Amino acid sequence: MTTVNQAAPSPAAEAPVSTPAGAPADAPAVLAEISGMLRTMLDEYGLDDIEVTMGTRFTEDLELESIDLVALAGSLEARYGRQVNFAEFVAGLDLDEIIDLTVGQLVEYVVRCLRAARER
Amino acid sequence: MAMIDTDHVTGHDGPHTGTDGVRLHVQRLSPPDGRPPTATAVLIHGLLTDSLASWYFTVAPDLAAAGLEVVMYDQRGHGRSERPGSGYRLDTFVTDLERLLDRLDITGPVHLVGNCFGGTVAFAYAMRRPERVAGIAVIEAKPATESWLTEISGILRRVEEELVVHEAESLAWVSANRGAHTARLAKSAARLVRTTSIAEDVPASRVVSEEQVRAVRCPVLAVYGADSELAGQERWLESVLPGTRTVVLPGQGHSVLAEAPTRIRELLLSWIDEREHEGEHERHTATDTAAAALEADAS
Repeated sequence: MTTVNQAAPSPAAEAPVSTPAGAPADAPAVLAEISGMLRTMLDEYGLDDIEVTMGTRFTEDLELESIDLVALAGSLEARYGRQVNFAEFVAGLDLDEIIDLTVGQLVEYVVRCLRAARER
Repeated sequence: MAMIDTDHVTGHDGPHTGTDGVRLHVQRLSPPDGRPPTATAVLIHGLLTDSLASWYFTVAPDLAAAGLEVVMYDQRGHGRSERPGSGYRLDTFVTDLERLLDRLDITGPVHLVGNCFGGTVAFAYAMRRPERVAGIAVIEAKPATESWLTEISGILRRVEEELVVHEAESLAWVSANRGAHTARLAKSAARLVRTTSIAEDVPASRVVSEEQVRAVRCPVLAVYGADSELAGQERWLESVLPGTRTVVLPGQGHSVLAEAPTRIRELLLSWIDEREHEGEHERHTATDTAAAALEADAS
């Protein structure tokens, strides 16, 4: 028997697959959730508790690599379902903009997606 | 997202049980709205400072939006894949790709797209499993010839000296001159070189002869930056594989994928689209021939 492990690697991604109805669509709540995902990721790198704010930059402040943002996309999908499409979000940005991305930009995008989904 | 265990050893259920089984981080993007994909593209990144993120943040979403099933993975030692202490010869990377496609049940011919070392992996896979490859598109890459080995060995030696022996100074320089993100990538590269045998293994890879390169049967697209050290490579490739389509992008260097993603995206999309239509034409011709043969039999 061969093993195909389809489980996402980060513990944060093991949250319920999709709870769009229960996801609060305001910035402070989304920031708290994304901070939690980031803390889990940073723990894997053995980094201490870092305060995450809307102005925190993924690369400069958290020392995350672009590949970590890909993993974060997995956690976002696990939490919010398909209504938050990270690939679509980054498709509109060039590489430098992605490197300069702040947590706040991502939070605002997630809030926009959740509100749009609710109005549908 | 998924972690795929390339372990081929049977009878085990743990993910780390085989001698060669490593866990690889895989990302797939499908065409929107559940449309069935027109073809599958497998994107293979480069060595040391690279990961599947280089595709994810450049061409991958557009390839999926254009109707392709897109498969990306972090090669062993890179990105969020496992980093075993040894096992970094080219053949091992090729076996990883082979097992990965097996695990994902992708058996039909795929379009391989490789950047730099990823392109070398694509060439090697096309030589090993020609029946599984519809075409290869490589960016700033060459097959694993003697000259490739000399160049990559030189690069690895330099990386070992600069990044590992003088790590702190080198990283400070990169950070000041190339920015925080490149410095972060350099740090990961230094860790890979320091903690594994990659710098010894890649130079110990088996090379291919010009004769073996000539035997590549699938269509090949090769893209180079005019200012890259690989410029001129296109003429050699055209002479060895006369059907190759080569594109040299003026004003671009080795990191053309990151610098000119729009151009690369257009090239890849039209390339894959043309190959798929060719394939359709061939299938129709084959059907016509079969039908003609049947009629001939019947008459």
